[in-house]
Amino acid sequence: MICRSALSRGSKLALGRQGARGFAAAASPKASYEPTTIAGVKVASRDDNGPTTRLAVVAKAGTRYEPLPGLTVGLEEFAYKAGWPLLFFNTNKRSALRITREAELLGGQLTAYHTREALVLQASFLREDLPYFTELLAEVVSQTRYTTHEFHEEVKDIIHQKQAKVDASAVALDAAHAVAFHSGLGAPLYPTPSTPIDSYLNEQAVADFAAAAYSKSNIAVVSDGASEHGLQKWIEPFFKTVPAQGSGSLNNVASKYHGGEQRISAVGQNSVVIAFPGASLGASSPETAVLAGLLGGESTIKWSPGFSLLSQAAAPGAQAKATNYAYSDAGLLAIQINGQSAAVKKTAEAAVKALKGVAESGVSQEVLVKAIAKAKFTLLSGSEVGGVGIVHAGANLIHGGSPLKVAETLKAFESVTGDKLKAAAKALLEGKASVASVGDLHVLPFAEDLGLQV
Amino acid sequence: MTAPSLASYVTKRPWLSKLLKPVAGWYSNAALYRQMGLKADDLISEENADVLKALGRLTPKESYDRIYRIRRATQLSLQQKILPKNEWTKPEEDVQYLSPILEAIEAEAKEKQALDTLVPSKAGH
Repeated sequence: MICRSALSRGSKLALGRQGARGFAAAASPKASYEPTTIAGVKVASRDDNGPTTRLAVVAKAGTRYEPLPGLTVGLEEFAYKAGWPLLFFNTNKRSALRITREAELLGGQLTAYHTREALVLQASFLREDLPYFTELLAEVVSQTRYTTHEFHEEVKDIIHQKQAKVDASAVALDAAHAVAFHSGLGAPLYPTPSTPIDSYLNEQAVADFAAAAYSKSNIAVVSDGASEHGLQKWIEPFFKTVPAQGSGSLNNVASKYHGGEQRISAVGQNSVVIAFPGASLGASSPETAVLAGLLGGESTIKWSPGFSLLSQAAAPGAQAKATNYAYSDAGLLAIQINGQSAAVKKTAEAAVKALKGVAESGVSQEVLVKAIAKAKFTLLSGSEVGGVGIVHAGANLIHGGSPLKVAETLKAFESVTGDKLKAAAKALLEGKASVASVGDLHVLPFAEDLGLQV
Repeated sequence: MTAPSLASYVTKRPWLSKLLKPVAGWYSNAALYRQMGLKADDLISEENADVLKALGRLTPKESYDRIYRIRRATQLSLQQKILPKNEWTKPEEDVQYLSPILEAIEAEAKEKQALDTLVPSKAGH
């Protein structure tokens, strides 16, 4: 294992404890979300008795499921716009402005965001305000009016603003997904200004998509920090208005990995994404997580590039990082490289070389221990951080799985050996890669030049 | 800007509404806008931010028809004429297409004003 004489007394003690007790604290049930069903709504909850609560509605309405391009972002921007006070329709429901002001008075935060698979409406608030925010989220899901004027006056502007912020790295990641999965998961996470969405995206299409997406069978409520009793009491009355089955259909196509290469010229920024089939959400493939930890990239320790292969491979002027993007029925292990064109080229070559090194000669025991520790930390801190944990728990539930079992997964990480890692890297390089280059194409390398099969 | 109106007071009382309906019908005809092919909502003054916003929320068809009616009426006014009787606006065509949107915009502004001038008080006081 680690050469002990090189370590101080304190860290020796820590290593000793690790061997003796394992991750006892992390293995306690609090780390995982517990799935239940309340009045037909799938609920995942976890309560650490803290003073604040995060409550989210996770709907199976990410870009993967949108029947027409741009509908997910349309639905996301319409969140918390519960409609205008209609005197002649006699609704008592709140206007968008009232929602904002009331949430402000209670000190709450309201956010809406989406991933490729899920659309998340999340409220963070003080523990005692659970009834108010439960009612609010149920109302947003079931009572929002998708009005023409709000679409033209507000929603469109926000979408255009966000489109302007889509940068080369996002385009490259989208392109890698597109060549890897074609439709479904290949749909762009945020449409770029050159994506033709205007003919598809209008308030009527968004309303139809909402009717299909916001139903009890298609959403999950994830709560972090609310009492079981409170959830039982409030979800039932407020989510009564949510229909049991959605009307209309979602784009439900099973994912299939294709692989290939995509090159897009762009001015100013350069990005290369080298991706391989990764691990899906439910899959037990600890090698992929450990391999992502081994490739790493972003240094997590100050004044040091870190042990990870990518941070050592990165040329000055470029950053590289590896992530396993896990989806319900597929995964993508992506190496993203951003920076100046020449540096990106050098880094891409070095990254592939490093991966080939792992496939041919494996890794030393010391590096393996570090990679496993990194993968463990990423998993645990991810499930603790509000957003990431909630999205994962919700995504698992809406796809019919169960929330991540943290303790079991950690144990699986321990079982990864150098040989397994070597075999995993070899399998990746033998299969087809998905490579996307965005930026100065005169400099950026082709996949074949990097020594990858596409 | 909507004009002050007793309409909701009247429509809530069937006897009053029955009593006043013929008078209202007579008045609408006597006002002569129907003879120029206009609807009552065409007469709302445009020189107001709320009305301009409401006009922006009309559908393209409603907006086009409105401009057509107004141009036709301007031309008639210039020529000192009224339309032939079969082209007059029929009472059942004289619907409110703008007022409901205008009312919603005004309610929105009123709600905003109310919420922006909230005074928090201690619980139980």
